[in-house]
Amino acid sequence: MSFLTLDHLQKSFGDTKVVHDFDMRVEKGEFISFLGPSGCGKTTVLRMVAGFETPSAGRILIDGQDVTGLRPNQRQIGMVFQAYALFPNLTVADNVGFGLKVAGVPRAERGPRVAEMLDLIGLPQMGGRYPWQLSGGQQQRVALARALAPRPRVLLLDEPLSALDAKIRVSLRNQIREIQQQLGITTIFVTHDQEEALSISDRIVVMHRGVADQTGTPREIYNHPTTDFVANFVGTLNRFPAEVLDAATGRLRVGGTEIELGRPVGPGPLVLAARPEGLVLAETGIPAEVTGVEFLGSVQRLRARAAGQSIVMDRFNAPTAALPAPGETVHLCPLRSHWMVLAQPEAEIV
Amino acid sequence: MKRLWSWAALVIGALYFLLPLIGTIEFSLRMRRGAYSLDAYRSVLADPAFRATFGYSVMMALLTIVLGVVLVVPTAYWVRLRLPRLRPVIEFVTLLPLVIPAIVVVFGYIRLYNTSSILPLTGTAGGTNILLLCGYATLALPYMYRAVDTGLSTMDVRSLTEAAQSLGAGWVRIIGRLILPNVLGAVMSGAFLSFAIVIGEFTMAALLNRPAFGPYMQLLGANRAYEPAALAVIAFAVTWGCMGVMQLISRLAGVRKTAT
Ligand SMILES: Nc1ncnc2c1ncn2[C@@H]1O[C@H](COP(=O)(O)OP(=O)(O)OP(=O)(O)O)[C@@H](O)[C@H]1O
Ligand SMILES: [Mg+2]
Repeated sequence: MSFLTLDHLQKSFGDTKVVHDFDMRVEKGEFISFLGPSGCGKTTVLRMVAGFETPSAGRILIDGQDVTGLRPNQRQIGMVFQAYALFPNLTVADNVGFGLKVAGVPRAERGPRVAEMLDLIGLPQMGGRYPWQLSGGQQQRVALARALAPRPRVLLLDEPLSALDAKIRVSLRNQIREIQQQLGITTIFVTHDQEEALSISDRIVVMHRGVADQTGTPREIYNHPTTDFVANFVGTLNRFPAEVLDAATGRLRVGGTEIELGRPVGPGPLVLAARPEGLVLAETGIPAEVTGVEFLGSVQRLRARAAGQSIVMDRFNAPTAALPAPGETVHLCPLRSHWMVLAQPEAEIV
Repeated sequence: MKRLWSWAALVIGALYFLLPLIGTIEFSLRMRRGAYSLDAYRSVLADPAFRATFGYSVMMALLTIVLGVVLVVPTAYWVRLRLPRLRPVIEFVTLLPLVIPAIVVVFGYIRLYNTSSILPLTGTAGGTNILLLCGYATLALPYMYRAVDTGLSTMDVRSLTEAAQSLGAGWVRIIGRLILPNVLGAVMSGAFLSFAIVIGEFTMAALLNRPAFGPYMQLLGANRAYEPAALAVIAFAVTWGCMGVMQLISRLAGVRKTAT
């Protein structure tokens, strides 16, 4: 029995259906990310779990209890907002202790709990400050402590890092993950940043137009996308139209070059796809004209045109290897294990 | 040259406001022939009617402020949170007291709540006081609503509300503990204006026949020479004193925020 169940949730605002048939089960202590483009309904699903929106259809269960009809303040859910939403008239300690006070926890027990929470987020000295005296990253950590203090059953975070700059974003997301694992709290994290989702989640739900397109571990999502949308949205994908020569052995013709995948494929025409790191330069292969080279430190990124498509290829930096120059013709060789076969036009992947 | 003109404008402006004030003060001190004295003030302060009416009006002013806050803060909050599309309408409604003369409002009250009506409020002194209070709250509404609404605009009402709700808080706690303290400065400025309006108000109090300060000033002005001037100066000082106190309170609230 799963801990948090979203049972065929639907939501319409007036005539527009924003969430179609969202169905998912979350285990206790799991860290789930909702990933998707702007407007796909991530926030709406989260707000239904929190109780700020009422589902048009479907049920929400927490630990076996149907909470669909409960008001937000009865659900025991912790929420962290993009805009921090700390109470400006209260000190950091009072902010963190707010939920405990509401729950009627006596002062003598509140103090130690607040101190414990401030320790957890690494701001033990800041209890007496007011929110406006803290940096954005500190404020968001206080918001996290405030949400966690009353021991909620589920923690919801709606793009908590979007308002922060890149460096703090990375360190804070790791801190959130650490705290989440330490407390073992069931968490849903909304983001439109795929790197964020890939790096800290147990499972990712990729959302598209109000539907959960694919649910899986970060590796599954990245390496074995099951829909065209997921394949394109998560990571960069190079696509080559391919002609099937022999479906049984997986012999294909791509851009005038024959490729043997060594596994059976469906009837053509197909699209052969590979991540930037799934292509290597070789003596023979698909001919490509280099259009640009970027040196990114540990990685070199090659942009080229092959088989009428713009493609991107990544390889690790090698101090002695020469970089191809723009205009040069190179040959791209597929790394077999990296190739994905996308059916055309149906979005099915082997 | 330009500086000269701005100085001239400043001086003229200052004279425009200060001369009548100085004149009034000077006049109020001349009750005793041939010498300056505080006789007029003594006479005013010794008048039991002054104390009674002034006390009454101060009481009414404070009640008006309380009623205004209780009425306006939740309303403005709710409109911002749930009915943002109605904001222009509500704003228009709150401005109506500026357009509709007080005398119209009072006659409306008297017609609606006279002794032969379902709710005969004008029948008793207490009932009439309640009517007057409602009238005062109406007069203060435009200032109170604007002040509070401006105060609310400086914070993210929706996120704060949702954060509090997810922490288990109900409406009373959200409004009392989070919204009100955060608009306190705005409430204070609204309260000051309400106070000033109520202390000097004449029409409503006179027509409802309540012993308020406004009608007393009018009465005194019609019958005495020096005392009205002294009264004006006292009213002026009290008003400014109130403003100072309210400034102080909001400053103190600010200091509590700054001190860590
Ligand atoms: N209260 C509302 N009334 C009408 N439409 C709404 C409302 N809230 C959201 N929507 C619509 O629902 C859709 C999904 O919104 P939602 O906020 O869930 O997207 P999101 O995935 O969180 O996007 P983002 O990444 O930009 O935050 C959007 O098209 C939005 O316009
Ligand atoms: Mg969103």
